[in-house]
Amino acid sequence: MEMSKKYWKGIEELKQTPEFIKQKDQEFPSQQSVEDFLADENLAESSTARRDFLKFLGFSVAAATLAACEAPVTKVVPYVVKPENVTPGMPTWYASTYYDGASYASIVVKTREGRPIFVKGNKDFGFTQGGTNPQIIASVLGLYDSARLAQPLAKGQKASWSTVDTAISAAIAKAKKVTLLSNTVISPSIQRAISEMATKLNGEGGTKFEHIQYDAISYAGMREANAIHFGERIIAGHDFSKAKTIVSVAADFLSTWLLPTEFAVQYGVGRSPEAKWMSKHFQFESILSVTGSNADVRSMIKPSEEAAVLAYMVKALGGNPGMAVSAGAWKDAADKAVAALKKSKKESLVVAGSNHIGVQQLVIQLNNLLGAYGSTLDLNNTINLYQSEDAKALKLAANVAAGKGPEVLIMMGVNPVYNMPNGAAFAKGLKSITTVAISSFEDETASLCTYVCPDHHQLENWSDHMAKPNEYAVGQPTIRPLHNTASALESLLVWNGSAARGGQDSAVAYDYIQATYAAMNPTGDFNYLTHNSCVAVTSTLATLSYKAAALKAIPSAASDTEVVFYQKAAIGNGDFANNPWLQEMPDPITKVTWDNYITMNPVEMEGTYATTYDQEHGLNLATVTVNGKSITLPVYPLPGQAPKTIGIALGYGRGANGENIGKAAFQTKEYGGHAKTKDGKLTPIGANVFGMLSTGATILFSAAAKVTPAEGTYPIAATQIHHTVMGRHSIVRETTLSIFQNNEKDAFNEGHKLQKLDKHGNHVEAPVSEFDLWAAHPVEKIGHRWGMSIDLSSCIGCGSCLIACQSENNVPVVGKDEVRRGREMHWLRIDRYFASDEEAAIGTKKDKKTFSYDNAEKAALNPTVIHMPLMCHHCNHAPCETVCPVAATTHSNEGLNQMTYNRCIGTRYCANNCPYKVRRFNWFNYPSYKKFTEVNPAQDDLGRMVLNPDVTVRTRGVMEKCSLCVQRIQATKLVAKKEARVIADGEFATACSDACPTNAIVVGDWNDLKSMIREKSEGIRAYQALEEIGVKPNVWYQMKVRNEDNNLLKHIQVADQAHH
Amino acid sequence: MEISNIQSLKRIKSLAYVAITIGLIAFSNFASAQGEGLFKAKCATCHMTHKNSTGPKLAGVKAKWAAGGAKEGSIYQWVNNWQTAAANDPYAAEVSKWSPTAMSAFPDLKKEEIDAILDWVDAQPDPALVAPVPPGGADAAGATNVALEEESNSWVWLIMGIIFVVVIMAVGGVRRQLKLATSENEAEAEKMTYGEELRALAWKYRLQVGLVSLVVVISLFVGLFQSLYSINIMEGYQPSQPIVFPHAQHAGINGIDCKYCHNTVAKSKSASIPSVNVCMNCHKQIDGEGKEYAPQIKKIYAAAGWDKEGMKYTGKTDPIVWNKVHVLPEHVYFNHSQHVVVGGIDCKQCHGDMTQMTETAKVQPVEELNKIEGNIKLTRKTLTMGWCIECHGKKDVAIGNGKNGYYDEIHRRLKQDPKLYAQYLNNDGKVTANELGGWECAKCHY
Repeated sequence: MEMSKKYWKGIEELKQTPEFIKQKDQEFPSQQSVEDFLADENLAESSTARRDFLKFLGFSVAAATLAACEAPVTKVVPYVVKPENVTPGMPTWYASTYYDGASYASIVVKTREGRPIFVKGNKDFGFTQGGTNPQIIASVLGLYDSARLAQPLAKGQKASWSTVDTAISAAIAKAKKVTLLSNTVISPSIQRAISEMATKLNGEGGTKFEHIQYDAISYAGMREANAIHFGERIIAGHDFSKAKTIVSVAADFLSTWLLPTEFAVQYGVGRSPEAKWMSKHFQFESILSVTGSNADVRSMIKPSEEAAVLAYMVKALGGNPGMAVSAGAWKDAADKAVAALKKSKKESLVVAGSNHIGVQQLVIQLNNLLGAYGSTLDLNNTINLYQSEDAKALKLAANVAAGKGPEVLIMMGVNPVYNMPNGAAFAKGLKSITTVAISSFEDETASLCTYVCPDHHQLENWSDHMAKPNEYAVGQPTIRPLHNTASALESLLVWNGSAARGGQDSAVAYDYIQATYAAMNPTGDFNYLTHNSCVAVTSTLATLSYKAAALKAIPSAASDTEVVFYQKAAIGNGDFANNPWLQEMPDPITKVTWDNYITMNPVEMEGTYATTYDQEHGLNLATVTVNGKSITLPVYPLPGQAPKTIGIALGYGRGANGENIGKAAFQTKEYGGHAKTKDGKLTPIGANVFGMLSTGATILFSAAAKVTPAEGTYPIAATQIHHTVMGRHSIVRETTLSIFQNNEKDAFNEGHKLQKLDKHGNHVEAPVSEFDLWAAHPVEKIGHRWGMSIDLSSCIGCGSCLIACQSENNVPVVGKDEVRRGREMHWLRIDRYFASDEEAAIGTKKDKKTFSYDNAEKAALNPTVIHMPLMCHHCNHAPCETVCPVAATTHSNEGLNQMTYNRCIGTRYCANNCPYKVRRFNWFNYPSYKKFTEVNPAQDDLGRMVLNPDVTVRTRGVMEKCSLCVQRIQATKLVAKKEARVIADGEFATACSDACPTNAIVVGDWNDLKSMIREKSEGIRAYQALEEIGVKPNVWYQMKVRNEDNNLLKHIQVADQAHH
Repeated sequence: MEISNIQSLKRIKSLAYVAITIGLIAFSNFASAQGEGLFKAKCATCHMTHKNSTGPKLAGVKAKWAAGGAKEGSIYQWVNNWQTAAANDPYAAEVSKWSPTAMSAFPDLKKEEIDAILDWVDAQPDPALVAPVPPGGADAAGATNVALEEESNSWVWLIMGIIFVVVIMAVGGVRRQLKLATSENEAEAEKMTYGEELRALAWKYRLQVGLVSLVVVISLFVGLFQSLYSINIMEGYQPSQPIVFPHAQHAGINGIDCKYCHNTVAKSKSASIPSVNVCMNCHKQIDGEGKEYAPQIKKIYAAAGWDKEGMKYTGKTDPIVWNKVHVLPEHVYFNHSQHVVVGGIDCKQCHGDMTQMTETAKVQPVEELNKIEGNIKLTRKTLTMGWCIECHGKKDVAIGNGKNGYYDEIHRRLKQDPKLYAQYLNNDGKVTANELGGWECAKCHY
């Protein structure tokens, strides 16, 4: 059908004009080509060029965007059925127990709307009495690590639990030999499950199943020595609170040795100069450990001299050490120790850090000579931690490496590929057998295993523990499991055929633990146990008595240079290498973050290595060769390191093959992203030295070494690069116990005085507090005045407060590059000061006339140490407040120096004017800028859950600092107001005071006349840092009292005083 | 006050009794009123008139019992104590099997009162038989409520207009350039450009142009500042909500206490939007069947996973996503319990009279709040910082009245500085929140 109608475009078409006909085939009427158009000179000169058009358009879009600047609609989703124990906006606390194979403590977990956000020690229940360490406090961050395995793996592929369980059960059934390699199991329930498995697989006298315990840090030497002298592989319970004399030979018992959570609390009890007695602590060691830095008398020895020191003391106390006795440079200190031991007799405690059986035998002999067993050492309440069976574990590893291993190897909570001395060979052997890893991460070992069965995180899991036979403790879940993981206990039960998988809300472990407790205590109330987290149980142990025996092994002779492999307070054995809080926690002694290194005494380094460094000039490198294995690391100048020894920290170099163990475990580039090696692998932080450990009857943590300088330098990130206070008495004050006890305050703690005119016009001296530049802010009589006292005598520098503060106050992690630029964000820092040869004690000049500042800059060869936590001093005459142009930092009438982020414009005048240098500037938007993606947990959807909802997450360009946990002050006040009562003393605690294992930090209301803080601030040990500048801080320090003889100091403080 | 109210109510009641005896009021009317009152007080918890709920429906129950062969008077016995009735009357025994939930005993109800209840119940029309809601009624009601979006500001349109003019001018300029470039006429090219024309014109009328420009520039500045100051002012904000929840019905007509639903207001910083199980406490019974709000209640059932027919939970829940009305910036810490429990502030002070709020919620303008009796009168816009601190500057904390040990101690300490205390009192005769630190930054910002 033909079109009956025709439409025309316009009158031109209708009339068929010539122009139309000419143009009708062209889409555009223009006769000019684009080239011609653009070439037109007039165009360039015309006032509205194409670029201007775009500019106008761009401006319009920007204006429209601004116009649309409206608050977005906020959604709010209430519960469908609100859980009974959750009040939105209010925290819920759960008592629980922490054990990760190394650290153990009774803890309390703070949850908000069902997610754990803060962990602290339980001061009410449990033998650890509130003691914690940085790892325990930081463990809450590990819960939200996005690298944690979310489901089981079979041959590297994601798999379901049923697939994995079927395969594992079948493999176990088929195998001729099944070995379970685990870390120390202190859980009675897991022990029961393992013994059920053994019964089922072994039947009567079979050998199909074997359980071997293995710890990265071994205490087998100690257990073997006890087996020799007591007939049982025990470790006796230690009580440092009863010990008037403590002698430690290279045992870092306040930070990493055995059970520091308990020991630090006990140690704190005996360190009060005001008490009836103060313990006297002798330390003989090669590296400068946290414990050594607290010692009253510290002597530097080589690792090979440990036995000699102990043997010398055994002989001096009338014993027969069973080896040749000779004295070294340490004789003077050892004589003093012997004198003290003779005086305190059974109220003494001798410990040694060595894993050498012979050394530990000498310790047992010494303690027995003193009569310490039954006094400071308890054979009836032993320590169940660290049951490592080195010989068996090493043999298993050798068998696996040689292809003679069991058909099925189950590895639970261990990472032998990383931390066994022969880990590399072991890794190769794993391929030929069926391997099962119960691990939270696809780590060095798990990534090589046939099956990986992810365990719950501590805080998701029902667990039970018996760290000591007299106490049964449970850990309860504080959050529903985030991923499709399962309790290790449940996995063992399932593979043994005695339970079925319970899924995400499984009660298998819970029921099993309840049954364990019911068997132990048939009348016990499980709910009561859960409420307290632990309960005392009576255990019946065989009575043990000391038997003399010859030394099983005599330590090897000294070699020229010896190396000590030690653990750092934050990273420990390396399990926490992926925790950015811990990586960025400055080491208590070296103040270095994000690295391990070789420590060497700067006196020895002179001429070969640089002894000073800064953000641009790194440290020199050196190559260390031990047992034929070499490693190159930077050399860090550490005063107090014994000459001819070096120290290297274990626990670094995790993820050497780029295993997915967490973003923060690897080096990052300057502008974000992971640093990659040439072959595209992630670069681990530091170097792994577990492979260098020597193995004999036990694994040994020291060896002969060869150190040769290597080419090049390495940048290192330290938060403190100066060592001494250069004789400045106004920063730290120190005295000795005898001076403290026998003199007035003015002798050892003289306040700063200024000249003024009295009524008669005479010049008189008056304390600084009498001088005011302007009218004081009213804080004394109205309401509260919050204050803090820090006891430098009890502070051991462990770093728990720093991590607790970071956790409580959403302090960002900034990464190594920013720390190098001095931009770390910690609100609380711990300054560490070494004594110099120009000082009689830290802060006291030997001789004011001949005092040389140049020499005072250098620390002494074996310096005494003071740890000084420093945060905002909340000065009543705050210099920062007067310089803020926008009044973003102001004073409250409760004595707080308030920081108002939303008012701050970032001039940084306040930071410049702060005498304590505690203000931190947000140089970047840490929660979103790409540079911090790898390190800052707030950039991760999961990691963000750790943030405290009561504290603002600060943005770029504002200043921040310690608020004295004002959110906690407000919460404490509100509880009291609602209950219509006064605030009790001790009710308010900051995150740092909550975390302090030795109760060195005391906070409270200074206007409460009966408060502890008032008493402390008026005590004779109290002083204020930089008192002479008159800023009137609300923070007091209690001066350091060392239990030593210091005649020079006595002369200065007492004789000079008399002279006045 | 409350006690005397109750007493007067009782007095009225007894007066009414007197009235019956002298027969001044029609008996039936009174009986009906008495029946309704008693039904609501005693029976309504479990019974509905024309529908089974926890207990069976009560309409026509007397007739049903009579028809079923119940003994004379057995029904009264049942009400007083069902177990006695069940023991005496086989029909009552049969009735007791209706539900495993046993009926409460009402031994104090007299025969006349029971009659009054049942007569009143029988007199009630069956809601199912009442003319249904005209089609679209419910939807229309829903639509008007949902459509309550925030009004756009006029200055947005102004800026859009300016953009438009700029775009038109720019396009015009380009067009002119194209025309010039393509023009073959040399003479035309010599003509003045737009800019030159404009400049010549402006010079000619320079006084007028100058004045107009000045006015325009000043008003633009004023406008800019005003608009900047109004950013994030929440006053009048009333977002749409997934469920049309009339506060007036719940808090007003039914007189439900605010704290019944917002039950963390005295414990926590947040008052909490009630969880669905709180709704279900009442709405298990009140399904609104036949009413225009039934679809809204269905949404609660969907959220709670409630199977209305089967009278049980299915376990399939779907939380309700509300739009938050009172939104504070994240750097502000506000605690409801501090204000409600310690400060004794009535909800009305900030939220207005919710018993009159026929829609879900709205940030009430300060003028509305000021109209409410007993409210502290404020001038700054609701939910701005000025509004908060203005109130902190006016609120008397009443320290030292012996009622709160915390404030008594603060009072005792304050008295030690008589000069300062006098200074506080001299301003306005009271110690206000700001004098105790209520204006300090770190009270709300940390």
